[in-house]
Amino acid sequence: MSRAAAALLALTVGCVLADSAVVTLALPEILERLHTTVGQVAWVLIAFNLVLAVVARPAAWFYRRRDPAVLCAAGIAVFAGASALCAVAGSLEVLIAARSVQAVGGAFAVVGSLQLLVEGLTERRGTAWWIAAGVFGTAVGPMAGGLLTDAFSWRSIFIVQVPIAVLAVPAALAKRRRNGQGLADETPKHRVRIQPNIALALLSAALSAALFLFVLLLVDGWRRSPAVAAVTVSVIPLAALLARPLVRMLRSGPMAQTTSGCLLIAGGLTGLALLPSADLAWTIAPQALVGLGLGLTLDPLTLQAMDGRTPHFLHGGWTIAARHAGVVLGLAILTPVFTADLQRAQPPAKDAITALVLNAPLAPQDKIAIARGLADRLKQDSGRVPDLNPAFEQLRVPAAEQPAAAQLERNLDLQLKRAATHAFRNAFLIGAALALAALLSLIPVRRRGVR
Amino acid sequence: MTGAARLRAGALPALAVVLVSAVLAVQLANGGGRYSPLRPASSCVARSVSSVATGIDGLTEQLVLTGLDAAACQIGVSREAFALQLAQPGTHTDAQINALRTGLLTAVDTLKADGKLPRASQLAREAVDASNLSSFRKAAIRAIPDALIDRTLTTDDVLRRTINDLDLRALLANLGNRHDLTTQVDTAVMKAVLERLTDDLHCC
Repeated sequence: MSRAAAALLALTVGCVLADSAVVTLALPEILERLHTTVGQVAWVLIAFNLVLAVVARPAAWFYRRRDPAVLCAAGIAVFAGASALCAVAGSLEVLIAARSVQAVGGAFAVVGSLQLLVEGLTERRGTAWWIAAGVFGTAVGPMAGGLLTDAFSWRSIFIVQVPIAVLAVPAALAKRRRNGQGLADETPKHRVRIQPNIALALLSAALSAALFLFVLLLVDGWRRSPAVAAVTVSVIPLAALLARPLVRMLRSGPMAQTTSGCLLIAGGLTGLALLPSADLAWTIAPQALVGLGLGLTLDPLTLQAMDGRTPHFLHGGWTIAARHAGVVLGLAILTPVFTADLQRAQPPAKDAITALVLNAPLAPQDKIAIARGLADRLKQDSGRVPDLNPAFEQLRVPAAEQPAAAQLERNLDLQLKRAATHAFRNAFLIGAALALAALLSLIPVRRRGVR
Repeated sequence: MTGAARLRAGALPALAVVLVSAVLAVQLANGGGRYSPLRPASSCVARSVSSVATGIDGLTEQLVLTGLDAAACQIGVSREAFALQLAQPGTHTDAQINALRTGLLTAVDTLKADGKLPRASQLAREAVDASNLSSFRKAAIRAIPDALIDRTLTTDDVLRRTINDLDLRALLANLGNRHDLTTQVDTAVMKAVLERLTDDLHCC
């Protein structure tokens, strides 16, 4: 297999696995453009991960019976077509349906790419390329999605995937078998390793908390642009890159890596739950812990689940199913928690806002005008963190009062940031608990022998 | 497992624990965990209120802010929660209106005790200027010397009459219309002044 073909297949794996979280930073824009709610828009993520988790293992069954190259190429083509459909979706329903089809194609593409990479390179190199592409896609996805959303629109996230996938189709077809048969009896069938797959599922649930919740906090809670949020979350992939040199320096084994990784992810998520302010600088250290943890865990755990196990497509399918079931688990647990907390945060936030308006050094009629404008915004943005800026843009106050009005706007903005940060706390702590559960799942279970 | 191997195996987890502990310790030391919205002060604890406005506007604001505290304390909520209840569109309950009226009357006592009430003549002149009385009646009232007004009227009495006479439901409905609100308050003050003067004329 040529390096270009291998690179294209690996890139496709990266694209598919990045799709798990690539739209996270675009969700606020999708929410606004497609006129939907936070609970509904979360299905753009949930649908993809759920279908990928459900289809990955059955997809492996087809590989036993059909030519892997043809199935993989078909999967990539479906993925490309569905990505194009996502890009032109005019409603949330169409987008979610297209995302589901994208996941079906993606499942075949990822499982097939593993088999083709292993056949085209060596077992070890092929698996390493496949794992690295997946980790890279997972880590970089949200950042890439955020930058594309800010530079163009959320639709561009899907448009850029189409040419990559289209180019990968001939790369997969180049590995067609002469007899057109599947892989049924070519290799011995090893049992699935349960522990690393469970740990992968729980860690993916925790990482979905880190990525999904954190970008929502940045964009919706702190009103940062998708580009700023993308640059901010780039700390995670950058820190993940440090994992390998650190492991080499300390010459740590896989168990030490995964134990430390789980601890770091749990610690990083706890750090995100206990932020001292809405200053982006405070998010760097907790994110770095999460990123380092991601780099230390995903790679060795996936390798533990797959190393020496055949058929590759079957064990690859299991790891994909485990990871994406974990993402769905994370979203299913965390979305209702943080939406309920966001609702609960509204009364104290309103009280704090009212106190600031009542105490502001402004003329009574200006306070009343501001209060009415704020009430309109709160009503309009019900269920979300409101944008109070329009209430002040419409305000006409005497020049002497403008500094006080500007100060009031800053103070109100601070209160909203405080309320939003507080509202995300429980969800981050649950994410940390999931990472610790992953750590517990890795503790070897010793079976007592019968004497 | 040899000692060196054991040390190697424990180095990375130990480093992870140190890193996590350090990050969390720095965050907690800088207020992590306490970053939440401000809690409103208790409405039953006295607080000083001020206003950047002058005249009746300023006095009204101070009365309202102090009165909201007293009313909220009476019904057991924060001043902010009570203000939000009153700001809701639609009808207000008798309990809310009665609490507001009682709170405003308590505020008059508080401002009087604090020496924050203006002289009656100052209040009356401003109310006359803003009122829709005829020019003749305005001129007649303006002709009364300040000293006589201050001897005849007390500000707290005028304010109590005003508050008792005010249609608070209409006042809450007028909050969004500055002109209607000012007219309603000034007319009520003017009415209270005239009633008090009439009472004095009848009695003497």
